[in-house]
Amino acid sequence: MKFIVSSSALLKQLSAINGVVTTNPVVPILENFLFEIKSGKLTVTASDLQTSMITELDVEAREDGNIAVPAKILIETLKNLPEQPVTFSIDQDTYSIEISSDNGRYKLAGENATDFPKIPSVTNATAVDMSTEILSSAISNTIFATSNDELRPAMTGVYINLSKTNTTFVATDGHRLVRYRRVDVASKDDSSIIIPRKALNLLKSTLPSENVPVTVEFNSSNAYFKFNNTKMICRLIDERFPDYENVIPVDNPNHMTIDRLEFLGSLRRIAIYANKTTHQVRLKLTGSELQISAEDLDFSNEANERLSCDHDGEDIEIGFNARFLVEMLNNLSSKEVTLKFSAPNRAGLIVPSDKGDNEDILMLVMPVMLNNYV
Amino acid sequence: MIDQSTIRKIIHVDMDAFFASVEQLDNPELRGKPVAVGGNRERGVVAAASYEARKFGVRSAMPGKIAALRCPGLIFVRPRFERYKEISGQIRQIFLDYTDLVEPLSLDEAFLDVTENKVNNPSATRIALEIRKRIKDELGLNASAGISYNKFLAKTASDINKPNGQAVILPKNAEAFLEKLPIERFYGIGKVTAEKMKELGIHNGFDLKQYSVQYLTKKFGKSGLHFYNIVRGIHLSEVKPNRIRKSLSAESTFSKDISEDEQIADALERIWEEVVRRMERSGVKGRTVTLKIKYHDFTIHTRSKTIEKFLEPARIKEIIWELWHQEPLVAAVRLLGIGISNLNLEEEDYFPGKQLWINFDGEYAEDQS
Repeated sequence: MKFIVSSSALLKQLSAINGVVTTNPVVPILENFLFEIKSGKLTVTASDLQTSMITELDVEAREDGNIAVPAKILIETLKNLPEQPVTFSIDQDTYSIEISSDNGRYKLAGENATDFPKIPSVTNATAVDMSTEILSSAISNTIFATSNDELRPAMTGVYINLSKTNTTFVATDGHRLVRYRRVDVASKDDSSIIIPRKALNLLKSTLPSENVPVTVEFNSSNAYFKFNNTKMICRLIDERFPDYENVIPVDNPNHMTIDRLEFLGSLRRIAIYANKTTHQVRLKLTGSELQISAEDLDFSNEANERLSCDHDGEDIEIGFNARFLVEMLNNLSSKEVTLKFSAPNRAGLIVPSDKGDNEDILMLVMPVMLNNYV
Repeated sequence: MIDQSTIRKIIHVDMDAFFASVEQLDNPELRGKPVAVGGNRERGVVAAASYEARKFGVRSAMPGKIAALRCPGLIFVRPRFERYKEISGQIRQIFLDYTDLVEPLSLDEAFLDVTENKVNNPSATRIALEIRKRIKDELGLNASAGISYNKFLAKTASDINKPNGQAVILPKNAEAFLEKLPIERFYGIGKVTAEKMKELGIHNGFDLKQYSVQYLTKKFGKSGLHFYNIVRGIHLSEVKPNRIRKSLSAESTFSKDISEDEQIADALERIWEEVVRRMERSGVKGRTVTLKIKYHDFTIHTRSKTIEKFLEPARIKEIIWELWHQEPLVAAVRLLGIGISNLNLEEEDYFPGKQLWINFDGEYAEDQS
């Protein structure tokens, strides 16, 4: 079998799916790309069993055939070749691959394509249409709040709840929670799934920067994302997502509205002086003044700043992990944000003061207990 | 500098060659002989050595091979941790006769705060003597003790007249004592830190005292402040009695085995009332309910269920019924018990610096029969 392809076109498609290939896969053949040629079309598959990505491109080929090609060597070779058409010649008996270019010839050992695991197809699927813009903002708004705790598997992914009127994306690690809602994505039936973090990270880095349609299909075990000529199939997290609506407090008497960038800048400076383990900063609201402070008793470090804000409610002091606040404020884009809280041991909420027409975002963060005896 | 009104009286009790002494106690043939607990002539390490073995230079954590070379007649015995735990518990009972503020460091050492004590003895030195005498009389083991006004000094003091002795470091003598103390003898300064200190020219407490807290913090990070303080005899850590209650329960044995639904319902109701009474009295709440059933043939079945929220009495009652109906009654019942665990005392929910968790409502059941 033989085919000719542009080195840069192939590299571009392979790079898009290369993130799936792990260095130490469960089955050694997963260190390979699966190449399948059919009627002048090359389909490349990469998989780690949980997540698979498939991409297609046109090549010059006279015959059909399949081969598994070592991913790392191939990518390295293509990266270092000047742009040109390269010829792949494959010996179907020995699985040896020869790449010839203007610069020379490279021989590498492939593997039998039939050993490559079968990629599940999604049957009885529910389908929903969105765009790369919606999907990528949903991912970047939620993924940072997912958990690494393998003992709470439901929280290691992003929960997606589809309804007739909107779609909600939720992530939590038990200390904070993000709920991102789009009213411009809806489905005929109510359903919900949890997509693993790894798959979403891959998607995020693969989604094209231009806004194109994305088709999402899923059944009870897999989800399937399709855009341009790339597809991703991932296994879903088969767990019950925590009942997040019940933990979002609705009656927070304290409302503070503040310039997001000023608040963020202040938190970044104060955080330098916070305790290295708790990253605790203290927010003290007196009238319409916000005092942000931190201290690290072990090093005799301390810092404090004063900002003005709009505050509605009784004076209050509450502690938070500065890293969480910084991360959350960083992910918002509005000029001002509103913080809502009620007590130093109850959840605080952060919402943007102005938001896009189609989206709604709410972030919840649990406090770090203050020590008022110091 | 030291405020007399807030001064604490701390005793550090350290058992002498504990594991080895227990072995010699239980096996008279080992008495007076060099004994190593753990390891053997070929491999493994010695967990503890008797004083007879220590004379030959046998130390804990020493490879068995080396220990055997140093002490040719050394007798290796296998450790029996269950037995050490048992005796450790008996020693603890003696401590508890004097104070509830007992903080065990390991099976063979503990801190006791006897500032206020149950025997109304104002002398910590006398209490230490009495405790050591009781350990000897009741258990046949030797203990050493250190007495001072904080944990660090008490711990340092217990080394002074070891074995089978005690020493006191009085507030007025503390600083002078610490100035002369070699740097590696400070509790909390290990080999590596001691080396580093010696490189800086710090060989004893006096040397250490010459440096500012800023300098020590720069060189040793967090611990710098601790070093700065301890050499001045300042150590504010309290004796933390590790007596966190794990569960609360009530049970009832019936004079005659019962099997009628009505009788059982009555009994469970009464036991539930008692559990609730105890919960209220101690301010304890739990997340797990366990139902214990002992049948007339003495087989015991337990079923439990854990909820993510602390349980209110009414919810506990519901769960008891749920657990009760889970399994058909197999025989006449001799005893019923209700236990509450996963208590709100275990996680100190509101200590400063604690990152709080979102309290998701989910429930999950736990099976353990």
